[in-house]
Amino acid sequence: MLAVLSVELRKLNRSLAALLAVAAPALIGLIAFFSLLRAQHPMPWEKWLQMSAGIWAFFMLPMSVTALTALVAQMEHGPRAWDHLRALPVARWKLYAAKAICVAALVVVMTLLNQLITWSAVSVASALKPAVAPTGVVDVSEVLLLNGKIAAAALLMTSIQLWTALRFSSFVPALALGIGGTFFSVVATSAKQGVFFPWQMPVNMLAGDAWRVETALALGGGLGLVALALAIAHLARREVL
Amino acid sequence: MPAAIETEGLSRRFGARLAVDAVSMTVPQRAVYGFLGRNGAGKTTTLKMILGLWRPTAGRVRVCGLDVGRRRMAAARKIGALLEAHGFYGNLTGRENLALTATLLGLGATEIERVLEVVEMRRDAHRKVAGYSLGMRQRLGLARAMLGAPPVLLLDEPTNGLDPDGIADMRRFLKTLPESTGATVLLSSHLLGEIEQTATHVGVVDGGRLVLEGELARLKAELGPELILRTGDGARAASLLLAHGRSPVAAETGLTVALRPGEDADQAAAAITRLLVEGGASVFAIGPRERSLEDIYRRVAGYRSPLAEVA
Repeated sequence: MLAVLSVELRKLNRSLAALLAVAAPALIGLIAFFSLLRAQHPMPWEKWLQMSAGIWAFFMLPMSVTALTALVAQMEHGPRAWDHLRALPVARWKLYAAKAICVAALVVVMTLLNQLITWSAVSVASALKPAVAPTGVVDVSEVLLLNGKIAAAALLMTSIQLWTALRFSSFVPALALGIGGTFFSVVATSAKQGVFFPWQMPVNMLAGDAWRVETALALGGGLGLVALALAIAHLARREVL
Repeated sequence: MPAAIETEGLSRRFGARLAVDAVSMTVPQRAVYGFLGRNGAGKTTTLKMILGLWRPTAGRVRVCGLDVGRRRMAAARKIGALLEAHGFYGNLTGRENLALTATLLGLGATEIERVLEVVEMRRDAHRKVAGYSLGMRQRLGLARAMLGAPPVLLLDEPTNGLDPDGIADMRRFLKTLPESTGATVLLSSHLLGEIEQTATHVGVVDGGRLVLEGELARLKAELGPELILRTGDGARAASLLLAHGRSPVAAETGLTVALRPGEDADQAAAAITRLLVEGGASVFAIGPRERSLEDIYRRVAGYRSPLAEVA
């Protein structure tokens, strides 16, 4: 499995995945930077980082997952590499599992990077406008816990997106699904049923009601793991015609 | 010693269409087996089933005695493939592309250099594959197929995109492979000339069925000798030959006449020349005509005009 993972990482390393991993959180950092410059009163660090996590979980994470899974799948669909890969003496499930692990790991990295970039942007903006510098201290364990939950709750959405991107050689179905999922997530933000909607599960980690957090986390993470295992099994067994 | 590749009643159905129909083929060890057929005849489907990429509807495949359906991984270790879709990553160099496959096969850097040397690609291996010509991709694909020196090589249209020198090099290379490495080569192509100059064995697939298989030299010998002649008056010559129990056939370069069983070619040429000259048809040239793979192909696969691509 390590060999397959190392091959996957080498392919990703030379793709645009790194750019995507930095660009998406950087946009939120940019918003945070200008928001602080426009602010009239100081806010606690907790609020700044929660606002950043909220935008991430609500919109940028679903869009990033859509782009990332499409990129990972198109690395093989584009050059029609599946026949070569699937003819090798390597268990096919490992080929797909390696992709899933890389995508899940990148989602975690991007989620944490989002907070790090926001912290940096707010710090730089505070230096330019000390009057509205954030108050209090950053509770790192709290930040890690919240963002860990967001990444975990995103697993079901990630599994669905990854399966779609790998199943169809065209990037259109995966892209349409991702855009559609994010669209409904945005327009029906306040819907109670959103807790059962994979694209809204990450943002529910910021909900006030404990049951929403617990339900979305259990479904997003737990069911996400099951969905990922099923997706890998299905992709490994199916014929690529 | 088991055959390098053996299929038994191999069939594959796509909906109502039977793409491969009970193909039973045997590729002997250390042979260069030319797998022939027009586009859509079932070659690629058969190759994909041999590689375990597609499951047969019926029948089975064995590679070096290993059942592909039951022991795909073990069978896959015995076979290296160059497929029509190369599957190279354009943003990586040739060497990096080989390194990915080598890692998956558990091979080291020395093996990459070895195969690059074999296909004479070391000089260009540092360049990105996106900048390679089709011929260079073919050679890199061949190098990748040879990683780990598998005993069986499956090559789908390996001369595609090669220039004339490249084709000649590839031909020489494939011919010497069994002797130099002990490998067996299954070569799929629709170019009869290439197969004829390279293969020791052939299998012809037509409409999903294997219509002919065997050692090329034996198949040619079984066709029986023929004479080819050029005359001043083709119609008169044909009628004279017909009147004397011969069956002339018009060919591009003249008339061909099949010899009778056991008939000596020189004696027959002398008798036919005498007959035609005495009959008033001047003979410009006459001699034995070597049987070609195309003759064999036409007999079993049925010659149709689109087969110009096969010739």
